Amino acid sequence: MNTIWAQGVSRKLMTAGLCVLLAFGSSACARSVNPETGYKTGINDPLEGMNRGIFAFNNIVDIAIIEPVAKAYNFLLPSFFRDGVQNFMHNLRSPLIVGNQLLQGDLKGAGVATARFIINTTAGIGGLVDVASAQGLPYEPEDFGQTLAVWGLGDGFYLVLPIVGPSSLRDTGGMVADGLADPVRIWAHDTDNDWIYYTRVGVEGLDTRARLVRAVEDLRANSLDYYAAVRSAYSQKRQSLIRDEKAGDSASIPDYDNN
Amino acid sequence: MRIALALAALALLAFATPVLAAKTDGSPAAQFVQGLGDKALTSLTAKDLAANVRAQRVRSLLRENFDIQTIGRFVMGNGWKTATPAQKSQYMSLFEDMIVATYTKRFADYSGQSFKVTGSSAVSDSDSLVKSQILQKDGPAVMVDWRVRKKDGGMKVVDVVVENISMSLTQRDDFRTVLNDKGVDGLIEVLRQRAGKPAGK
Repeated sequence: MNTIWAQGVSRKLMTAGLCVLLAFGSSACARSVNPETGYKTGINDPLEGMNRGIFAFNNIVDIAIIEPVAKAYNFLLPSFFRDGVQNFMHNLRSPLIVGNQLLQGDLKGAGVATARFIINTTAGIGGLVDVASAQGLPYEPEDFGQTLAVWGLGDGFYLVLPIVGPSSLRDTGGMVADGLADPVRIWAHDTDNDWIYYTRVGVEGLDTRARLVRAVEDLRANSLDYYAAVRSAYSQKRQSLIRDEKAGDSASIPDYDNN
Repeated sequence: MRIALALAALALLAFATPVLAAKTDGSPAAQFVQGLGDKALTSLTAKDLAANVRAQRVRSLLRENFDIQTIGRFVMGNGWKTATPAQKSQYMSLFEDMIVATYTKRFADYSGQSFKVTGSSAVSDSDSLVKSQILQKDGPAVMVDWRVRKKDGGMKVVDVVVENISMSLTQRDDFRTVLNDKGVDGLIEVLRQRAGKPAGK
């Protein structure tokens, strides 16, 4: 147990080092803030051609397979069941969330995540019921990509991953690191039950996609350039997660009449 | 190792202070948004409403309560600087039509959601951010923030932020590609096609 956990952490550090090297190798790590909006200026997307191709592919697969499955999931299963699935998945993420909060120096966040894990695993029947939220301890997603951002690493550039979808150089590295350090994966691997880990990844993906059905339909129908709209939404979401979604941080809209 | 982890977890619990539920305050901005939400739900969501009646109601609610000039100009980004007055006016008219069409369809699909303002805070001299939730019967609540600006003696919405994603900023990034590829005329043309209008001046 001791050495396996330590191995996970050292792998995380190695991946972090790799990310740092890669990010320095790519241009424009830290982007300037647009004075009009307060948000980082236009997302760095030097691989736009390739990204659009992968995005188009993802869209085909999504419309053909993933979206119908997500809609069926929403239609067939009652919401309390689907909430239970999400709560369980969130709970499994606790070790990674606590770890990343600590790496970011967010002791309060780590404390809340720890309390959530204990309360939801016990009173919440193995994590199925999110008792902690009702106690004023909300879920706060954290991942290694956010940690790297807090440490000052720019996102490098926008990257659309096959099937997985929008990401960035930094966040992809972060996902890999989290995957390697994930106790669930390590346990499944060590007990020769990798299928448990893959099933979990699949279910987590389904839960996320199912919750986004309306938003995606809306964006597809109403955007002029669906690729650009998704890229923008992704970038804003990541920036807000990195800042821990503090109030009043949204884009500021200029006052044209008084300027 | 296990004991060390357990002790560390116990230590961390000391930092777990619960988040107090936000009080609904009676600030003018919060009341404005609550009023807008109530008006929208009563006048826009009836199932048997004719499409053009619904669209007309959406348009008047929009003009009354949203600063369409500011939003449209913001969304156009750098295109505004190079657009002629004629282009600007065509764009603004098509932009408004597009929003009306989008929201008419959304309200037609309404299925029992309810709307609750949960708090507000001033973010600048003129702007407040009003937090609200859209509660669905079958699914989690959606966080929607409204950026409200004091204007002309009243209040107008200048941005809608859904789950921390600004709709105005997203649209601006969306339009930018079209502007870069096709220019202002190209953008106007795309908007015209969206509205199902014939190509022309």
